[in-house]
Amino acid sequence: MIASDKTLIRLNGLSKHYGRLTVLDGIDLEVKAGEVLAIIGPSGSGKSTLLRCINYLEPPDGGTITVDDIVIDAGNPIGRAALSGLRRRVGMVFQSFNLFPHMSVLRNISLPQERVLGRSRKEADARSMQLLSRVGLADKAEQFPIRCSGGQQQRIAIARALALDPEVMLFDEPTSALDPELGLEVLAVMRELAKSGMTMIVVTHEMGFAENVSDTVMIMADGNIVEKGPSKEIMRNPQHERTKRFLRAVHDR
Amino acid sequence: MLPDFTEITAWMPDLMSGFKISLQVTFFSLLIGIPFGLVLALGVMAKGRVIRAISLFAVEVGRGAPALVLLQFIYVGLPSAGLMVGSFMAAIAALAWNTGAYTSEIIRASLLSIPSGQREAAEALGMKRLDELRFILLPQGLRVALPALLGFSILIFQSTSLCFTIALPELVSRAYEIGSITFRYFPVLLLAGLLYASISIPAALLVDFIEKRAGKFASR
Repeated sequence: MIASDKTLIRLNGLSKHYGRLTVLDGIDLEVKAGEVLAIIGPSGSGKSTLLRCINYLEPPDGGTITVDDIVIDAGNPIGRAALSGLRRRVGMVFQSFNLFPHMSVLRNISLPQERVLGRSRKEADARSMQLLSRVGLADKAEQFPIRCSGGQQQRIAIARALALDPEVMLFDEPTSALDPELGLEVLAVMRELAKSGMTMIVVTHEMGFAENVSDTVMIMADGNIVEKGPSKEIMRNPQHERTKRFLRAVHDR
Repeated sequence: MLPDFTEITAWMPDLMSGFKISLQVTFFSLLIGIPFGLVLALGVMAKGRVIRAISLFAVEVGRGAPALVLLQFIYVGLPSAGLMVGSFMAAIAALAWNTGAYTSEIIRASLLSIPSGQREAAEALGMKRLDELRFILLPQGLRVALPALLGFSILIFQSTSLCFTIALPELVSRAYEIGSITFRYFPVLLLAGLLYASISIPAALLVDFIEKRAGKFASR
């Protein structure tokens, strides 16, 4: 269900090394507007690093990143305007939620809007409440994050990222720190988000999500893309030996 | 051995005026020293090499040299370089430097104690570094640092007694003065000690209380 043919994200030869270790070995990737891409693969394959390079939490050391009209050549030091442009367009959700524990849930979502987008407190709070309702947590607005379950915290973190109106959302193993039940409520929010047409790149171990919600699945190993294609095809009929081995291991659990 | 009532009433005005100066020196040393500590902490953590080197130098000298040496250095050393300072100013400068150097490490450690995920989140949200510091790191970091900062403040209050070496008429100087006239050193120093304790002990209890309350937002 990809909404358009417009390419929103394009990576060309993106590479990252830690000393002599190659973490990303020249990744080429295109993601269309409205596409939901799931990235799966064994630990240490470079999935998370790829995600973190896209919004420059880890600066890549080679290749180019294009997001919407922002083009970044990783070979050169990044300019301030390009970096803030990139961060404006890209929202991110972390495995460990990373809410600010000294602020109420509402402040967590409103503060970035005020500081980054220059919204007034009133505007920001209105938007925050709207998003809290959307993730089913309007009643938690005045609570502190510690009073919320992990699943609730992750839904709040999603609302916080959405409040800045990003063009694309990155999810870095959003349910890995949650028990299966709490993971489910987060996945429900992500499914709704996918339906609404949000462009999403999701690093995940949730094979159900990869198969049923995402449009495209990409398998990574050793810093390379092993295989990429329509999710149902890849999940049900993988071509590559490395993919088959990985999916077998997942299913045997 | 103990001071009698008439002695106490005779000495008290002098002791109290010394006590007042001790408190003033403490107050201004902390007022200047703790913000200076924050600046030094940020300087030591800064990316720029020059800023980092200058900050590190200020911290290492301020911590490495005993407060007594800093006092002498500023009071005796600076005039020989052509810069006259009174003993009151010299005391504040030396103790503020000492405070800045020590508290910078306290503040730095508490800023580093904030989980890095929160900084990443702020960064990913596109918040500026200054906003990240102001809204995320400092409010939590200073809460962590508060008990240690107050504890250090008590130490600085006690360190003001070193200022008798630079002829500042603070509490210990006044007590010595009285002692040298009356030869009743022990009773008058005992009184001075009680005056220090009248501040230090309640302050230490306050630190304990605050320590128990700090970080309450982080627990259920």
